[in-house]
Amino acid sequence: MNKYLEVAKISFKAQIVYIFDVCIAAVYMVTKILFAYVLWGAVFRENETVAGFTYPAMFTYYIFSSFLSQIELSGNVSEEISSSIRRGTFSKFMVIPAGTQTYFIAQTFGVMLFYLVFILAASVAWTVLFRARFMMTSNPVLILEAIIMIILGLVFMIQLNYFLGILAFKYLDISAFLMIKSNVVAFITGSLVPLSLLPDAVITVMRIFPFYYVTYLPSMLLIGKNTEEALTGIIVLSAWFLLFTVLNKIAYNKLRVIYDGVGI
Amino acid sequence: MIHTKKLTKTYRLFEKEAGLSGSIKSLFNRKYTYKTALSDFDLDISEGEFVGLIGPNGAGKTTLIKLLTGIIAPTSGEISVLGYYPNKLENSFKMQYAVVMGQKSQLFFELTAADTFLLFKELYNIPADVYQKNLDYFVSLFDVGDLLNVQVRTLSLGERMKMELIAALLHSPRVLFLDEPTIGLDAVAQRQIRMFLRDVNKEKGTTIILTSHYMENIKSLCKRCVVINQGEKIYDGSTDFLFEKYQVHKKITLHFAEPTDFALPQGCEIIEKNPLKCAFFAPFESTQQIAYAMMRQYELSDITIEEDEIGSVVERIYNNRAGE
Repeated sequence: MNKYLEVAKISFKAQIVYIFDVCIAAVYMVTKILFAYVLWGAVFRENETVAGFTYPAMFTYYIFSSFLSQIELSGNVSEEISSSIRRGTFSKFMVIPAGTQTYFIAQTFGVMLFYLVFILAASVAWTVLFRARFMMTSNPVLILEAIIMIILGLVFMIQLNYFLGILAFKYLDISAFLMIKSNVVAFITGSLVPLSLLPDAVITVMRIFPFYYVTYLPSMLLIGKNTEEALTGIIVLSAWFLLFTVLNKIAYNKLRVIYDGVGI
Repeated sequence: MIHTKKLTKTYRLFEKEAGLSGSIKSLFNRKYTYKTALSDFDLDISEGEFVGLIGPNGAGKTTLIKLLTGIIAPTSGEISVLGYYPNKLENSFKMQYAVVMGQKSQLFFELTAADTFLLFKELYNIPADVYQKNLDYFVSLFDVGDLLNVQVRTLSLGERMKMELIAALLHSPRVLFLDEPTIGLDAVAQRQIRMFLRDVNKEKGTTIILTSHYMENIKSLCKRCVVINQGEKIYDGSTDFLFEKYQVHKKITLHFAEPTDFALPQGCEIIEKNPLKCAFFAPFESTQQIAYAMMRQYELSDITIEEDEIGSVVERIYNNRAGE
Protein backbone atom coordinates (compact mmCIF):
# COMPACT_ATOMS: atom_id res chain seq x y z
CA MET A 1 0.00 0.00 0.00
CA ASN A 2 2.90 2.31 0.80
CA LYS A 3 4.08 2.20 -2.78
CA TYR A 4 0.80 3.57 -4.09
CA LEU A 5 0.77 6.25 -1.40
CA GLU A 6 4.23 7.27 -2.61
CA VAL A 7 2.95 7.33 -6.22
CA ALA A 8 0.14 9.69 -5.13
CA LYS A 9 2.65 11.81 -3.21
CA ILE A 10 5.03 12.17 -6.12
CA SER A 11 2.15 13.19 -8.42
CA PHE A 12 1.04 15.77 -5.89
CA LYS A 13 4.62 17.09 -5.64
CA ALA A 14 4.89 17.28 -9.43
CA GLN A 15 1.74 19.42 -9.56
CA ILE A 16 2.96 21.93 -7.02
CA VAL A 17 5.92 22.75 -9.24
CA TYR A 18 3.63 24.54 -11.68
CA ILE A 19 2.23 27.38 -9.63
CA PHE A 20 0.65 29.07 -12.68
CA ASP A 21 -1.57 26.01 -13.19
CA VAL A 22 -2.73 26.35 -9.59
CA CYS A 23 -3.78 29.95 -10.17
CA ILE A 24 -5.53 29.18 -13.46
CA ALA A 25 -7.45 26.28 -11.93
CA ALA A 26 -8.60 28.48 -9.05
CA VAL A 27 -9.58 31.34 -11.39
CA TYR A 28 -11.45 28.89 -13.62
CA MET A 29 -13.50 27.63 -10.67
CA VAL A 30 -14.24 31.17 -9.50
CA THR A 31 -15.36 32.06 -13.05
CA LYS A 32 -17.74 29.12 -13.00
CA ILE A 33 -19.21 30.28 -9.71
CA LEU A 34 -19.59 33.80 -11.05
CA PHE A 35 -21.32 32.41 -14.13
CA ALA A 36 -23.74 30.41 -11.98
CA TYR A 37 -24.39 33.42 -9.78
CA VAL A 38 -25.36 35.61 -12.75
CA LEU A 39 -27.18 32.92 -14.78
CA TRP A 40 -29.30 31.41 -12.06
CA GLY A 41 -29.84 34.85 -10.51
CA ALA A 42 -31.44 35.95 -13.81
CA VAL A 43 -33.54 32.79 -14.13
CA PHE A 44 -34.86 32.96 -10.58
CA ARG A 45 -35.69 36.67 -10.74
CA GLU A 46 -39.03 35.77 -12.36
CA ASN A 47 -39.63 32.39 -10.65
CA GLU A 48 -39.51 31.19 -7.08
CA THR A 49 -38.62 27.61 -8.14
CA VAL A 50 -37.45 25.93 -11.34
CA ALA A 51 -38.02 22.16 -11.70
CA GLY A 52 -38.34 21.93 -7.91
CA PHE A 53 -35.13 23.86 -7.24
CA THR A 54 -35.02 27.09 -5.28
CA TYR A 55 -32.31 29.58 -6.15
CA PRO A 56 -29.95 28.58 -3.26
CA ALA A 57 -30.48 24.87 -4.08
CA MET A 58 -29.73 25.38 -7.78
CA PHE A 59 -26.71 27.56 -7.04
CA THR A 60 -25.34 25.05 -4.52
CA TYR A 61 -25.97 22.15 -6.91
CA TYR A 62 -24.06 23.96 -9.61
CA ILE A 63 -21.13 24.68 -7.30
CA PHE A 64 -20.85 21.05 -6.18
CA SER A 65 -21.26 19.52 -9.62
CA SER A 66 -18.77 21.97 -11.16
CA PHE A 67 -16.32 21.27 -8.40
CA LEU A 68 -16.66 17.50 -8.83
CA SER A 69 -16.34 17.67 -12.60
CA GLN A 70 -13.21 19.78 -12.21
CA ILE A 71 -11.48 17.37 -9.84
CA GLU A 72 -12.52 14.46 -12.04
CA LEU A 73 -9.23 14.27 -13.93
CA SER A 74 -9.42 10.71 -15.17
CA GLY A 75 -9.23 11.89 -18.79
CA ASN A 76 -5.48 12.32 -18.30
CA VAL A 77 -5.17 8.58 -17.67
CA SER A 78 -6.41 7.52 -21.10
CA GLU A 79 -4.36 10.27 -22.75
CA GLU A 80 -1.17 9.30 -20.93
CA ILE A 81 -1.59 5.56 -21.49
CA SER A 82 -2.44 5.86 -25.18
CA SER A 83 0.33 8.34 -25.96
CA SER A 84 2.95 6.30 -24.09
CA ILE A 85 1.86 3.15 -25.94
CA ARG A 86 2.14 4.96 -29.27
CA ARG A 87 5.55 6.40 -28.38
CA GLY A 88 6.81 3.08 -27.04
CA THR A 89 7.44 4.44 -23.55
CA PHE A 90 4.70 2.44 -21.81
CA SER A 91 7.40 -0.11 -21.00
CA LYS A 92 8.43 2.03 -18.02
CA PHE A 93 5.14 1.10 -16.31
CA MET A 94 5.54 -2.57 -17.24
CA VAL A 95 8.94 -3.07 -15.64
CA ILE A 96 8.16 -1.68 -12.18
CA PRO A 97 6.73 -4.01 -9.54
CA ALA A 98 3.33 -2.35 -9.26
CA GLY A 99 -0.10 -3.00 -10.74
CA THR A 100 -0.55 -0.58 -13.64
CA GLN A 101 -4.22 0.12 -12.92
CA THR A 102 -3.60 0.82 -9.24
CA TYR A 103 -0.57 2.91 -10.20
CA PHE A 104 -2.75 5.14 -12.38
CA ILE A 105 -5.48 5.35 -9.74
CA ALA A 106 -2.89 6.47 -7.16
CA GLN A 107 -1.28 8.89 -9.60
CA THR A 108 -4.63 10.49 -10.47
CA PHE A 109 -5.63 10.78 -6.82
CA GLY A 110 -2.37 12.61 -6.17
CA VAL A 111 -3.28 15.17 -8.84
CA MET A 112 -6.89 15.32 -7.63
CA LEU A 113 -5.75 16.05 -4.12
CA PHE A 114 -3.82 19.01 -5.41
CA TYR A 115 -6.89 20.43 -7.20
CA LEU A 116 -9.09 19.55 -4.25
CA VAL A 117 -7.03 21.66 -1.90
CA PHE A 118 -6.59 24.71 -4.10
CA ILE A 119 -9.96 24.80 -5.85
CA LEU A 120 -11.83 24.14 -2.63
CA ALA A 121 -10.00 27.02 -0.99
CA ALA A 122 -10.88 29.34 -3.91
CA SER A 123 -14.53 28.24 -3.90
CA VAL A 124 -14.96 28.69 -0.16
CA ALA A 125 -13.27 32.09 -0.25
CA TRP A 126 -15.50 33.25 -3.06
CA THR A 127 -18.79 32.09 -1.59
CA VAL A 128 -17.92 33.63 1.76
CA LEU A 129 -16.81 36.86 0.15
CA PHE A 130 -19.99 37.29 -1.89
CA ARG A 131 -22.19 35.89 0.85
CA ALA A 132 -23.76 33.53 -1.66
CA ARG A 133 -26.83 31.74 -0.38
CA PHE A 134 -25.70 28.18 0.15
CA MET A 135 -28.03 25.28 0.87
CA MET A 136 -26.07 22.23 2.01
CA THR A 137 -27.50 19.35 4.00
CA SER A 138 -26.47 19.03 7.64
CA ASN A 139 -27.34 15.32 7.78
CA PRO A 140 -24.02 13.50 8.50
CA VAL A 141 -25.28 10.20 7.02
CA LEU A 142 -26.11 11.90 3.73
CA ILE A 143 -22.74 13.64 3.67
CA LEU A 144 -20.97 10.32 4.33
CA GLU A 145 -22.97 8.58 1.60
CA ALA A 146 -22.12 11.39 -0.81
CA ILE A 147 -18.41 11.14 0.03
CA ILE A 148 -18.41 7.34 -0.48
CA MET A 149 -20.19 7.85 -3.79
CA ILE A 150 -17.74 10.55 -4.88
CA ILE A 151 -14.73 8.32 -4.14
CA LEU A 152 -16.28 5.30 -5.87
CA GLY A 153 -17.31 7.47 -8.81
CA LEU A 154 -13.85 8.96 -9.23
CA VAL A 155 -12.21 5.53 -9.06
CA PHE A 156 -14.70 4.18 -11.58
CA MET A 157 -13.96 7.03 -13.99
CA ILE A 158 -10.24 6.26 -13.74
CA GLN A 159 -11.00 2.61 -14.43
CA LEU A 160 -13.07 3.56 -17.48
CA ASN A 161 -10.30 5.77 -18.83
CA TYR A 162 -7.71 3.12 -18.06
CA PHE A 163 -9.76 0.68 -20.12
CA LEU A 164 -10.00 3.13 -23.04
CA GLY A 165 -6.28 3.89 -22.72
CA ILE A 166 -5.19 0.26 -22.96
CA LEU A 167 -7.28 -0.15 -26.10
CA ALA A 168 -4.35 1.67 -27.72
CA PHE A 169 -2.44 -1.62 -27.50
CA LYS A 170 -4.78 -2.81 -30.24
CA TYR A 171 -5.96 0.34 -32.03
CA LEU A 172 -3.05 2.73 -31.33
CA ASP A 173 -5.22 5.79 -32.01
CA ILE A 174 -8.12 5.91 -29.56
CA SER A 175 -9.10 9.56 -30.04
CA ALA A 176 -12.52 8.61 -31.47
CA PHE A 177 -13.31 6.53 -28.35
CA LEU A 178 -12.20 9.40 -26.12
CA MET A 179 -14.28 11.97 -27.99
CA ILE A 180 -17.43 9.86 -27.71
CA LYS A 181 -16.75 9.17 -24.04
CA SER A 182 -16.18 12.80 -23.08
CA ASN A 183 -19.38 13.99 -24.79
CA VAL A 184 -21.50 11.22 -23.33
CA VAL A 185 -20.03 11.63 -19.86
CA ALA A 186 -20.45 15.43 -19.83
CA PHE A 187 -24.14 14.99 -20.55
CA ILE A 188 -24.90 11.94 -18.42
CA THR A 189 -23.05 13.08 -15.33
CA GLY A 190 -25.30 16.12 -15.15
CA SER A 191 -22.40 18.53 -15.24
CA LEU A 192 -24.11 20.41 -18.09
CA VAL A 193 -27.75 20.27 -16.98
CA PRO A 194 -29.35 18.90 -13.77
CA LEU A 195 -30.64 15.50 -14.76
CA SER A 196 -33.98 16.17 -13.07
CA LEU A 197 -34.77 18.46 -16.01
CA LEU A 198 -34.73 15.42 -18.31
CA PRO A 199 -37.72 13.07 -18.91
CA ASP A 200 -38.27 10.34 -16.29
CA ALA A 201 -37.72 7.51 -18.77
CA VAL A 202 -34.29 8.85 -19.66
CA ILE A 203 -33.32 9.17 -15.99
CA THR A 204 -34.49 5.61 -15.28
CA VAL A 205 -32.16 4.28 -17.97
CA MET A 206 -29.30 6.44 -16.72
CA ARG A 207 -29.66 4.98 -13.23
CA ILE A 208 -28.38 1.66 -14.49
CA PHE A 209 -25.18 3.30 -15.65
CA PRO A 210 -22.57 4.63 -13.23
CA PHE A 211 -22.30 8.17 -14.63
CA TYR A 212 -25.53 9.23 -12.94
CA TYR A 213 -23.81 8.68 -9.59
CA VAL A 214 -20.50 10.36 -10.36
CA THR A 215 -21.43 14.03 -10.24
CA TYR A 216 -25.18 14.39 -10.27
CA LEU A 217 -26.36 12.25 -7.36
CA PRO A 218 -23.61 13.21 -4.88
CA SER A 219 -24.35 16.88 -5.66
CA MET A 220 -28.06 16.28 -5.09
CA LEU A 221 -27.39 14.43 -1.83
CA LEU A 222 -25.26 17.30 -0.60
CA ILE A 223 -28.20 19.67 -1.06
CA GLY A 224 -30.50 17.19 0.70
CA LYS A 225 -32.34 15.89 -2.39
CA ASN A 226 -32.85 12.38 -3.86
CA THR A 227 -31.92 10.89 -0.48
CA GLU A 228 -33.79 7.64 -1.18
CA GLU A 229 -31.38 6.89 -4.04
CA ALA A 230 -28.20 7.01 -1.95
CA LEU A 231 -27.97 3.31 -1.16
CA THR A 232 -28.89 2.27 -4.69
CA GLY A 233 -26.19 4.62 -5.97
CA ILE A 234 -23.50 3.09 -3.79
CA ILE A 235 -24.54 -0.44 -4.79
CA VAL A 236 -24.65 0.36 -8.53
CA LEU A 237 -21.28 2.14 -8.41
CA SER A 238 -19.72 -0.73 -6.43
CA ALA A 239 -21.00 -3.20 -9.01
CA TRP A 240 -19.48 -1.17 -11.86
CA PHE A 241 -16.26 -0.81 -9.90
CA LEU A 242 -16.01 -4.58 -9.47
CA LEU A 243 -16.95 -5.21 -13.08
CA PHE A 244 -14.24 -2.88 -14.37
CA THR A 245 -11.67 -4.25 -11.91
CA VAL A 246 -12.11 -7.67 -13.51
CA LEU A 247 -12.58 -6.35 -17.06
CA ASN A 248 -9.42 -4.23 -16.91
CA LYS A 249 -7.37 -7.09 -15.52
CA ILE A 250 -8.48 -9.40 -18.32
CA ALA A 251 -8.17 -6.72 -21.02
CA TYR A 252 -4.69 -5.66 -19.88
CA ASN A 253 -3.36 -9.22 -19.78
CA LYS A 254 -4.85 -9.98 -23.19
CA LEU A 255 -3.84 -6.74 -24.92
CA ARG A 256 -0.37 -6.10 -23.53
CA VAL A 257 1.00 -9.21 -25.24
CA ILE A 258 0.47 -7.54 -28.62
CA TYR A 259 2.52 -4.53 -27.50
CA ASP A 260 5.68 -4.11 -29.57
CA GLY A 261 7.21 -1.29 -27.57
CA VAL A 262 8.28 0.50 -30.71
CA GLY A 263 8.34 4.24 -30.97
CA ILE A 264 11.21 6.34 -29.71
CA MET B 1 20.30 -17.47 -15.00
CA ILE B 2 19.26 -16.45 -18.53
CA HIS B 3 18.33 -19.06 -21.07
CA THR B 4 16.81 -18.77 -24.51
CA LYS B 5 16.40 -21.44 -27.14
CA LYS B 6 15.22 -20.84 -30.70
CA LEU B 7 13.81 -17.52 -29.50
CA THR B 8 12.03 -15.72 -32.32
CA LYS B 9 10.23 -12.41 -32.49
CA THR B 10 8.33 -11.26 -35.55
CA TYR B 11 6.78 -7.80 -35.80
CA ARG B 12 3.76 -6.98 -37.91
CA LEU B 13 4.31 -3.67 -39.71
CA PHE B 14 1.65 -1.50 -41.30
CA GLU B 15 2.57 -0.51 -44.84
CA LYS B 16 1.02 2.04 -47.16
CA GLU B 17 1.85 3.75 -50.41
CA ALA B 18 3.09 7.33 -50.25
CA GLY B 19 0.71 10.25 -50.89
CA LEU B 20 -2.94 11.03 -50.24
CA SER B 21 -4.27 8.28 -52.53
CA GLY B 22 -2.11 5.76 -50.67
CA SER B 23 -3.56 6.95 -47.36
CA ILE B 24 -7.14 6.66 -48.65
CA LYS B 25 -6.47 3.21 -50.13
CA SER B 26 -5.04 2.03 -46.84
CA LEU B 27 -8.33 2.93 -45.12
CA PHE B 28 -10.10 0.20 -47.07
CA ASN B 29 -7.31 -2.21 -47.78
CA ARG B 30 -4.74 -2.38 -45.01
CA LYS B 31 -1.50 -4.07 -45.87
CA TYR B 32 0.92 -5.54 -43.41
CA THR B 33 4.40 -6.88 -43.76
CA TYR B 34 6.18 -9.09 -41.27
CA LYS B 35 9.69 -8.49 -40.04
CA THR B 36 11.63 -11.06 -38.05
CA ALA B 37 13.64 -9.04 -35.56
CA LEU B 38 15.11 -12.07 -33.79
CA SER B 39 15.40 -15.55 -35.24
CA ASP B 40 16.10 -18.91 -33.53
CA PHE B 41 18.23 -17.16 -30.95
CA ASP B 42 20.04 -19.32 -28.40
CA LEU B 43 21.66 -17.70 -25.39
CA ASP B 44 22.83 -18.78 -21.96
CA ILE B 45 24.20 -16.33 -19.41
CA SER B 46 25.45 -17.25 -15.95
CA GLU B 47 25.25 -15.25 -12.72
CA GLY B 48 27.85 -12.48 -12.42
CA GLU B 49 28.70 -12.28 -16.13
CA PHE B 50 29.12 -8.97 -17.95
CA VAL B 51 27.96 -9.59 -21.51
CA GLY B 52 28.01 -7.15 -24.38
CA LEU B 53 25.48 -7.26 -27.19
CA ILE B 54 26.83 -5.75 -30.39
CA GLY B 55 25.25 -5.20 -33.74
CA PRO B 56 24.30 -2.49 -36.22
CA ASN B 57 21.01 -0.56 -36.00
CA GLY B 58 18.02 -2.85 -36.42
CA ALA B 59 20.06 -5.96 -35.64
CA GLY B 60 17.68 -7.08 -32.87
CA LYS B 61 19.61 -6.02 -29.73
CA THR B 62 16.82 -3.92 -28.24
CA THR B 63 14.25 -6.56 -29.16
CA LEU B 64 16.29 -9.10 -27.20
CA ILE B 65 16.42 -6.78 -24.16
CA LYS B 66 12.65 -6.22 -24.40
CA LEU B 67 12.05 -9.97 -24.53
CA LEU B 68 14.34 -10.65 -21.57
CA THR B 69 12.64 -7.97 -19.45
CA GLY B 70 9.14 -9.15 -20.40
CA ILE B 71 8.15 -5.93 -22.15
CA ILE B 72 7.22 -7.87 -25.27
CA ALA B 73 6.16 -11.45 -25.81
CA PRO B 74 8.13 -13.82 -28.04
CA THR B 75 6.56 -15.18 -31.21
CA SER B 76 8.06 -18.61 -30.54
CA GLY B 77 10.90 -20.37 -28.73
CA GLU B 78 11.95 -20.79 -25.11
CA ILE B 79 12.89 -18.01 -22.72
CA SER B 80 13.70 -18.05 -19.02
CA VAL B 81 15.20 -15.29 -16.89
CA LEU B 82 15.92 -16.03 -13.21
CA GLY B 83 13.59 -19.02 -13.60
CA TYR B 84 10.67 -16.87 -14.75
CA TYR B 85 8.89 -16.52 -18.07
CA PRO B 86 9.48 -12.76 -18.43
CA ASN B 87 6.29 -11.76 -20.23
CA LYS B 88 4.18 -13.00 -17.32
CA LEU B 89 5.45 -9.82 -15.64
CA GLU B 90 5.27 -11.19 -12.12
CA ASN B 91 6.20 -8.68 -9.45
CA SER B 92 8.56 -11.18 -7.82
CA PHE B 93 10.47 -11.28 -11.12
CA LYS B 94 10.47 -7.50 -11.58
CA MET B 95 11.90 -7.06 -8.07
CA GLN B 96 15.03 -8.92 -9.19
CA TYR B 97 16.05 -7.06 -12.30
CA ALA B 98 16.44 -3.51 -13.55
CA VAL B 99 16.50 -2.05 -17.01
CA VAL B 100 17.93 1.24 -18.21
CA MET B 101 17.15 2.33 -21.72
CA GLY B 102 19.15 5.30 -22.93
CA GLN B 103 16.15 7.02 -24.43
CA LYS B 104 13.43 6.07 -21.98
CA SER B 105 13.63 7.75 -18.62
CA GLN B 106 12.23 6.55 -15.30
CA LEU B 107 12.91 9.89 -13.62
CA PHE B 108 10.28 12.54 -12.96
CA PHE B 109 11.58 15.54 -14.86
CA GLU B 110 9.71 18.15 -12.81
CA LEU B 111 11.07 16.82 -9.53
CA THR B 112 14.48 16.01 -8.15
CA ALA B 113 16.26 12.68 -8.54
CA ALA B 114 15.93 12.20 -4.77
CA ASP B 115 12.12 12.27 -5.17
CA THR B 116 12.26 9.46 -7.74
CA PHE B 117 14.61 7.48 -5.47
CA LEU B 118 12.06 7.74 -2.64
CA LEU B 119 9.37 6.42 -4.98
CA PHE B 120 11.59 3.51 -5.97
CA LYS B 121 12.31 2.79 -2.31
CA GLU B 122 8.60 2.16 -1.79
CA LEU B 123 7.96 0.46 -5.14
CA TYR B 124 10.71 -2.08 -4.48
CA ASN B 125 10.02 -2.26 -0.76
CA ILE B 126 13.66 -1.50 0.08
CA PRO B 127 14.38 -1.47 3.85
CA ALA B 128 15.47 1.98 5.04
CA ASP B 129 19.02 0.88 6.01
CA VAL B 130 19.63 -0.93 2.70
CA TYR B 131 18.26 2.05 0.79
CA GLN B 132 20.56 4.48 2.57
CA LYS B 133 23.57 2.20 2.23
CA ASN B 134 23.01 1.68 -1.50
CA LEU B 135 22.26 5.33 -2.11
CA ASP B 136 25.45 6.42 -0.31
CA TYR B 137 27.49 3.85 -2.20
CA PHE B 138 26.25 4.79 -5.68
CA VAL B 139 26.24 8.53 -5.00
CA SER B 140 29.87 8.37 -3.88
CA LEU B 141 30.83 6.23 -6.90
CA PHE B 142 29.46 8.89 -9.22
CA ASP B 143 30.21 11.80 -6.92
CA VAL B 144 26.76 13.30 -7.51
CA GLY B 145 25.81 14.20 -3.93
CA ASP B 146 25.31 17.85 -4.81
CA LEU B 147 22.89 16.99 -7.65
CA LEU B 148 20.39 14.91 -5.70
CA ASN B 149 18.13 17.85 -4.87
CA VAL B 150 18.32 19.54 -8.26
CA GLN B 151 15.32 19.41 -10.63
CA VAL B 152 15.98 16.58 -13.10
CA ARG B 153 15.12 18.65 -16.19
CA THR B 154 17.99 20.99 -15.40
CA LEU B 155 20.59 18.19 -15.28
CA SER B 156 22.88 17.49 -18.21
CA LEU B 157 22.38 14.30 -20.23
CA GLY B 158 25.33 12.63 -18.49
CA GLU B 159 24.14 13.62 -15.02
CA ARG B 160 20.65 12.37 -15.82
CA MET B 161 21.99 9.00 -16.96
CA LYS B 162 23.97 8.66 -13.74
CA MET B 163 20.73 9.24 -11.80
CA GLU B 164 18.92 6.67 -13.98
CA LEU B 165 21.57 4.11 -13.13
CA ILE B 166 21.38 4.87 -9.41
CA ALA B 167 17.57 4.58 -9.48
CA ALA B 168 17.86 1.24 -11.28
CA LEU B 169 20.33 -0.20 -8.79
CA LEU B 170 18.83 0.94 -5.47
CA HIS B 171 17.00 -2.35 -4.97
CA SER B 172 20.15 -4.43 -5.59
CA PRO B 173 18.88 -6.21 -8.71
CA ARG B 174 20.48 -9.52 -9.66
CA VAL B 175 20.41 -8.62 -13.35
CA LEU B 176 20.85 -5.24 -14.95
CA PHE B 177 19.87 -4.71 -18.58
CA LEU B 178 21.41 -1.68 -20.24
CA ASP B 179 20.30 -0.54 -23.68
CA GLU B 180 22.68 2.11 -25.03
CA PRO B 181 23.25 3.79 -21.66
CA THR B 182 26.00 6.05 -22.97
CA ILE B 183 24.32 7.22 -26.15
CA GLY B 184 24.96 10.90 -26.77
CA LEU B 185 27.30 11.29 -23.80
CA ASP B 186 30.71 12.94 -23.95
CA ALA B 187 33.92 10.96 -23.42
CA VAL B 188 34.25 11.93 -19.74
CA ALA B 189 30.72 10.88 -18.83
CA GLN B 190 31.14 7.65 -20.80
CA ARG B 191 34.31 6.83 -18.88
CA GLN B 192 32.65 7.56 -15.52
CA ILE B 193 29.73 5.29 -16.39
CA ARG B 194 32.10 2.54 -17.51
CA MET B 195 33.99 2.71 -14.21
CA PHE B 196 30.70 2.68 -12.32
CA LEU B 197 29.41 -0.38 -14.15
CA ARG B 198 32.70 -2.22 -13.67
CA ASP B 199 32.48 -1.57 -9.92
CA VAL B 200 28.86 -2.67 -9.71
CA ASN B 201 29.60 -5.90 -11.54
CA LYS B 202 32.68 -6.63 -9.46
CA GLU B 203 31.62 -5.47 -6.00
CA LYS B 204 27.92 -6.34 -6.06
CA GLY B 205 28.13 -9.35 -8.38
CA THR B 206 25.34 -7.95 -10.53
CA THR B 207 24.93 -9.70 -13.86
CA ILE B 208 25.01 -7.06 -16.57
CA ILE B 209 23.83 -7.28 -20.17
CA LEU B 210 24.88 -4.24 -22.15
CA THR B 211 24.07 -3.13 -25.66
CA SER B 212 26.25 -0.37 -27.03
CA HIS B 213 27.41 1.17 -30.26
CA TYR B 214 30.62 2.26 -28.65
CA MET B 215 33.45 -0.25 -29.06
CA GLU B 216 35.24 1.14 -26.06
CA ASN B 217 32.32 0.23 -23.76
CA ILE B 218 32.29 -3.35 -24.93
CA LYS B 219 36.07 -3.76 -25.04
CA SER B 220 36.73 -2.41 -21.60
CA LEU B 221 33.77 -3.94 -19.78
CA CYS B 222 32.65 -7.20 -21.28
CA LYS B 223 34.74 -10.36 -21.21
CA ARG B 224 32.13 -11.99 -23.37
CA CYS B 225 30.23 -10.51 -26.23
CA VAL B 226 27.45 -11.59 -28.52
CA VAL B 227 27.25 -10.17 -32.01
CA ILE B 228 23.82 -9.95 -33.61
CA ASN B 229 23.08 -9.20 -37.22
CA GLN B 230 19.63 -9.21 -38.81
CA GLY B 231 18.19 -11.04 -35.83
CA GLU B 232 20.74 -13.83 -35.85
CA LYS B 233 23.62 -14.55 -33.53
CA ILE B 234 26.82 -14.50 -35.55
CA TYR B 235 29.37 -14.55 -32.73
CA ASP B 236 29.30 -15.56 -29.07
CA GLY B 237 32.58 -15.68 -27.21
CA SER B 238 35.59 -13.81 -25.92
CA THR B 239 35.61 -10.07 -26.58
CA ASP B 240 39.42 -10.02 -26.82
CA PHE B 241 39.39 -12.71 -29.47
CA LEU B 242 36.67 -10.92 -31.41
CA PHE B 243 38.64 -7.69 -31.58
CA GLU B 244 41.96 -9.39 -32.26
CA LYS B 245 40.47 -11.25 -35.16
CA TYR B 246 38.06 -8.78 -36.64
CA GLN B 247 39.19 -5.31 -35.69
CA VAL B 248 41.75 -4.95 -38.46
CA HIS B 249 42.32 -1.21 -38.55
CA LYS B 250 41.75 2.15 -36.89
CA LYS B 251 40.73 5.43 -38.44
CA ILE B 252 43.29 8.26 -38.25
CA THR B 253 42.21 11.81 -39.08
CA LEU B 254 44.82 14.53 -39.54
CA HIS B 255 44.09 18.25 -39.59
CA PHE B 256 46.99 20.22 -41.09
CA ALA B 257 48.07 23.62 -39.83
CA GLU B 258 48.57 24.78 -43.46
CA PRO B 259 47.79 23.31 -46.91
CA THR B 260 49.87 20.15 -47.21
CA ASP B 261 50.66 17.61 -49.88
CA PHE B 262 50.03 14.41 -47.97
CA ALA B 263 51.61 11.06 -48.85
CA LEU B 264 49.66 8.00 -47.68
CA PRO B 265 51.78 5.62 -45.53
CA GLN B 266 52.21 2.11 -46.80
CA GLY B 267 49.44 -0.35 -45.97
CA CYS B 268 46.86 2.38 -45.32
CA GLU B 269 43.59 3.07 -47.09
CA ILE B 270 42.41 6.62 -47.84
CA ILE B 271 38.91 7.74 -46.78
CA GLU B 272 39.02 11.49 -47.34
CA LYS B 273 41.72 13.85 -48.52
CA ASN B 274 42.06 17.61 -49.09
CA PRO B 275 44.95 20.06 -48.49
CA LEU B 276 43.85 20.76 -44.91
CA LYS B 277 42.51 17.41 -43.82
CA CYS B 278 43.14 13.73 -44.42
CA ALA B 279 41.40 10.65 -43.03
CA PHE B 280 42.59 7.09 -43.61
CA PHE B 281 42.46 3.56 -42.24
CA ALA B 282 45.69 2.31 -40.70
CA PRO B 283 46.46 -1.35 -39.84
CA PHE B 284 45.42 -2.00 -36.26
CA GLU B 285 48.82 -3.20 -35.03
CA SER B 286 50.79 -0.27 -36.49
CA THR B 287 48.37 2.60 -35.70
CA GLN B 288 50.58 3.97 -32.94
CA GLN B 289 53.77 4.07 -35.02
CA ILE B 290 51.96 5.67 -37.96
CA ALA B 291 50.41 8.33 -35.73
CA TYR B 292 53.84 9.20 -34.25
CA ALA B 293 55.34 9.35 -37.72
CA MET B 294 52.57 11.71 -38.90
CA MET B 295 53.16 14.02 -35.95
CA ARG B 296 56.88 14.19 -36.72
CA GLN B 297 56.43 14.54 -40.46
CA TYR B 298 53.65 17.15 -40.70
CA GLU B 299 52.64 20.40 -39.03
CA LEU B 300 49.32 19.27 -37.46
CA SER B 301 46.60 21.31 -35.78
CA ASP B 302 44.78 18.19 -34.61
CA ILE B 303 44.89 14.39 -34.82
CA THR B 304 42.20 11.86 -33.87
CA ILE B 305 42.37 8.08 -33.74
CA GLU B 306 39.07 6.21 -33.74
CA GLU B 307 38.19 2.57 -33.23
CA ASP B 308 36.68 0.59 -36.06
CA GLU B 309 32.93 1.06 -36.24
CA ILE B 310 30.83 -1.77 -34.90
CA GLY B 311 29.13 -2.07 -38.28
CA SER B 312 32.47 -2.80 -39.99
CA VAL B 313 33.39 -5.47 -37.45
CA VAL B 314 30.01 -7.12 -37.83
CA GLU B 315 30.32 -7.01 -41.60
CA ARG B 316 33.70 -8.77 -41.40
CA ILE B 317 32.35 -11.50 -39.11
CA TYR B 318 29.39 -11.95 -41.41
CA ASN B 319 31.57 -12.16 -44.52
CA ASN B 320 33.93 -14.54 -42.75
CA ARG B 321 31.03 -16.85 -41.84
CA ALA B 322 29.68 -16.72 -45.37
CA GLY B 323 33.11 -17.69 -46.69
CA GLU B 324 33.48 -20.67 -44.33
